Amino acid sequence: MRARWTLRTVVLAYLGILIGLPVVFLVLKAFGHGFGAFWGEVTQTDALSALKLSLIIAAVAVPINTVVGVGAALLIARHDFIGKRIFDTIFDVPVAISPIIIGVSLVLAYSRIGWFGAPLARWGLNVLFTPLGVALATMSVSLPYVLRSIVPVLTEIGQDQEHAARTLGAGRLRIFWNVTLPSIRWAVLYGVTLTIARTLGEFGAVLVVSGNITGVTQTLPIYIYDSWDQRFDVLGSYSGALVLALISVAVLSILAVLRRRERKLLVDFA
Amino acid sequence: MSISLSHLTKHYGKTNAVNDVSAEIGHGSLTAILGPSGSGKSTLLKLISGLERPDEGTVVIDGDDVTKVDPRHRDIGFCFQHYAPFRHMNVAKNVAFGLKVRRRPAKEIDARVDELLALVKLEGKAKSYPSQLSGGERQRMALARALAIEPRVLLLDEPFGALDAVVRAELRHWLKELHGQIHVTTVLVTHDQQEAMEVADQLIVMRSGRVVQSGNPLSLYESPATDFVHEFLGPSTMFQGQVTRPHDLELVSVYQGTVKGRITSIVSLGFEAQVTVELSDGTTTWVQLSRNEISTMGLRVALLVGVRRREDDV
Amino acid sequence: MPTATPLDTTSLKVHSSPAPSGWRRVASRLSLPLLMGGGGTLIVAYLSIIVILPIAAMVSHGFSISIGTKGAWFEFWRWHVAFGFRTFWDAVTAVGARNAILLSLWLSLAVATINAVMGVAIAWVLVRDRFFGRTFLDSVIDLPFALPTIVAGVVLLAIYGPDSPIHVDLFETWMGLMLALLFVTLPFSVRSVQPVLASLDLDSEAAARTLGAGTVRTFVSVVLPSLWPSVLAGFGLAFARAIGEFGSISLIAGGIPRTTTASYYIFNLTSGFLWTDAAAVSTALLVISLIVLVSANVFSRRFQRRLL
Repeated sequence: MRARWTLRTVVLAYLGILIGLPVVFLVLKAFGHGFGAFWGEVTQTDALSALKLSLIIAAVAVPINTVVGVGAALLIARHDFIGKRIFDTIFDVPVAISPIIIGVSLVLAYSRIGWFGAPLARWGLNVLFTPLGVALATMSVSLPYVLRSIVPVLTEIGQDQEHAARTLGAGRLRIFWNVTLPSIRWAVLYGVTLTIARTLGEFGAVLVVSGNITGVTQTLPIYIYDSWDQRFDVLGSYSGALVLALISVAVLSILAVLRRRERKLLVDFA
Repeated sequence: MSISLSHLTKHYGKTNAVNDVSAEIGHGSLTAILGPSGSGKSTLLKLISGLERPDEGTVVIDGDDVTKVDPRHRDIGFCFQHYAPFRHMNVAKNVAFGLKVRRRPAKEIDARVDELLALVKLEGKAKSYPSQLSGGERQRMALARALAIEPRVLLLDEPFGALDAVVRAELRHWLKELHGQIHVTTVLVTHDQQEAMEVADQLIVMRSGRVVQSGNPLSLYESPATDFVHEFLGPSTMFQGQVTRPHDLELVSVYQGTVKGRITSIVSLGFEAQVTVELSDGTTTWVQLSRNEISTMGLRVALLVGVRRREDDV
Repeated sequence: MPTATPLDTTSLKVHSSPAPSGWRRVASRLSLPLLMGGGGTLIVAYLSIIVILPIAAMVSHGFSISIGTKGAWFEFWRWHVAFGFRTFWDAVTAVGARNAILLSLWLSLAVATINAVMGVAIAWVLVRDRFFGRTFLDSVIDLPFALPTIVAGVVLLAIYGPDSPIHVDLFETWMGLMLALLFVTLPFSVRSVQPVLASLDLDSEAAARTLGAGTVRTFVSVVLPSLWPSVLAGFGLAFARAIGEFGSISLIAGGIPRTTTASYYIFNLTSGFLWTDAAAVSTALLVISLIVLVSANVFSRRFQRRLL
C-alpha cells in the first residue's frame, strides 16, 4: 500500500513539474497584463498575417497529404509489389529524423545552390526564403500521419466487403467511394486531424527554408519564436503560444472522439 | 445455368491449392463442394466467381467462357463466409447495391428490395444496420443482396459455418426451400458432410486440391470410390481389412458370425448405441445397433459374440 | 497458360480487359508505378520530390568540394568521391560540430533512460492505480505530442526561464535542455508500455505472490520481463526524437556554445549560409538517427520473439 502511494506521488510530482506548472504559468503569463493586452497581441498585423500564411499552407499541404496517404495505404494494404517494405519505410523518414535535416535537404535540392536549382530558377521557382519552400517543408514533415492511421484499419476490416461489391458489379471507383472510404472514414479523419496539427505546428524545417521574413514566410510558430528571440516581445510570444496550445487541446479532444467512433465501428463486428 | 470447369489449377507460391480440377455442375442444381479444410474447396469457389484467376484451365458458365471475365461482369451472386455486409449501409441499401450499380430506376429497385426482403423474411428490418442483426439475419441479408441482381449462379462459401447449431439447422431447411422456389444454380462450399448430404442434390468431394469423387449424395454414400470418401461421408469402421459402415454390421451368436469377438464397451446415444468389439484377428471394430436390439440380444460388456455383414444373410 | 478445351470454341463474352497472365502478371507484381491505374507513379513521384531527392542531394552536398558548390548531379561521381570525404570529415570533426554531436548524444541517452524509468512508473499508475483524475491524467500524457515544439519551448520558459516566477532559471543550461527533451519525449515510453501492461495476465503476478514474492520481487521477476520489448521500443523512439529535436530547445538553449546541440549547430550553419558544412553534419546526424531506430527495432523484435 505504501509502495502504491509513493509511486503515485512521484508520478504526479513529475508530471506536475514537467507539464502541469508550465502550462498553468503560460496561461498566467499570457493574461498577465489582462485579456485586452492578450487580444491586442493576438490580433496585431504580424500575428494575423502569420496565422493567414499558416492556414494557407495547411490548406495546400493537408489535402495533398491526405490523397497521397489514402492512395499509399491502399497500395500497402491491398496490393503486393516488389519494394513494398522500402516504400512503407520512406513515409516514416521525415518524422524520424530532425526537422532541421528536412529543411537543409530541401534547400540543397531546390534552392539556387541545390541540385535542381538551375532549371527551377529558369522557371522562376526558388524554395529558399519563399512560401513555396515553407509549403514543401510542411508537406514533408506531415507526410505519414494519414497513411499510418488508415493501414491498420484497412487490414482489420479485410477485403470481403470490396470483393462482395465487385461480384455485385461495382467498378473500382464505385467500390472506393461507396464501400472502402465509408469504412475507413473515421481513420481518415483521425489522420487528417494529426496532419493539420503537425502542419500548423511545424517549426524547425520551416525555419531553415523560410529565412523568417515577416509577412512573407512567417508562419505562426515562427512568429512565436521571432517574438521571443528577435523582437523581445515576450507577451506576443506567450499569447501566440497560448493560441496554438488551445488548438492542440482541441485536436486532442477531436482525436479522442474519433478513436471512440473507430473502436465502436470495429467492436460492433467482433 | 450450367457450369463446367475444366483442368482448373491454382498455385499460391509453391502450394497447389487447386490441382487439375474438372467438373460439371448441372443447370438448376444445388451442388455442395465438400472437403476437409485445406482441400482447396474455397479456392475452387473463388475461381468460379472470378475473385481468383486460375493459372490454368477454364470456367464456362452457361456456354460462355468466363475465365478471363472480371467478377463484376460474371452475373454471379456470392455469399461470403462472414457475409461481408456493407457495415455503413442499412439492410435495404445493402440489398439494393447491385441494382444501383446497374442503374435500375429507383421505383424498380424499391419494389425488388421489398420483394427480396419478403423472400428472406427480413421485411421488418429494412432500416436496420448489419450490426443490429443476428448472425442468421445477416446471412439472409447477404443472400438477398446476392440474389438481387438475378445471378446466373449463386455461390455460397461455408454459408452456415459461423452460426450456432439451432440456427444452422433452420437455415439449411430454409435454403433448400428457397432453392425449390427460385431454382438458381447454386454451389456451396462446406466441410460438414451432414450439411452437404442434407442440403445438396450433387456432391463434389475434394481432397488436397483434387476432386476425389462427384455424384448424387446417396450414390456417394452407398458406393464411395475411396476409403477417404467412405470415411468422410459418414461413420465408418474397419472390418476384415475393409472400410465399412457400422450400421452395415450386425452382432450374432458366436457360431453364426464371420469373425468371433468380445464386447469391450457399449456407449448408448439415445436411440442408438455404439458397441465396440475386440475381434479374434486382433483388430477392433464398432457396430451401430438400436437400443431394442441390445436389450433383446442381452448384450453386455465381456460377452463373446460373432460379427458379420448385414448383407451376408440376404 | 490456358489449356485448350473443347468449350473454348463457344461464344466468348469478354466484358473487361483480359486478366494479366504470364509475364504481364509478374510485371504488375513487380512494378509499383503501374498499380492503381498509374496512381502508384504519382505517389512515387511525390515521395521523390519531398523526401528521396532532397536527402540524396543533401548527402551528396555534404561530400562536395567546397569551392564548386554549384553541384550539378553528374559532378558527383567525378569530384565528390575523390575529394568529398575530406570535406565531410572536416565539417563533422570541427570543434563546434563535435561538441554539439556529443552533447546531443549524451543528453538523448540520459533523456531516453529517465523516460524509460518514468514511462514504466507512469504507465503503471495509469493502468493499475485508481484515483480521482486518472482519466484526465491519461489524456494529459498526449499533450506534448499534440503541442507544437516551439510552444513547448515557450511553455517551459514561462516557468523555468529568465523571469521565472518560482526563481528557477534554467535558461542556457543543460538542465533546461534536458527538461525540454523530457517534455517532448514523454508520450513515447508511456504509450508503448501502457498497452502491454494493460494486457498482462494478473494471475501470474498473483501466483508469484502466493509463492512468497514481495511487491518489488514480483515486479522485477514477473512483470518486467514482459515489458522489456515495449520499454526498449519507447527508449529507441525517445532517443531518436531527442537527438533530432530542435523546436522545444531553440529558445531555452539561448545560442551559447555550451548549450548548442547538433540540430542547433546545423541551424547556426544555415544562418551563416555554410550549406556544405550543414549538409555534412546533417548527414552524420541522419546516420545516427537511422542506426538508433533500426537497432531499437531489431532489439525489441528479438525480445518479443523470445517471449512468444
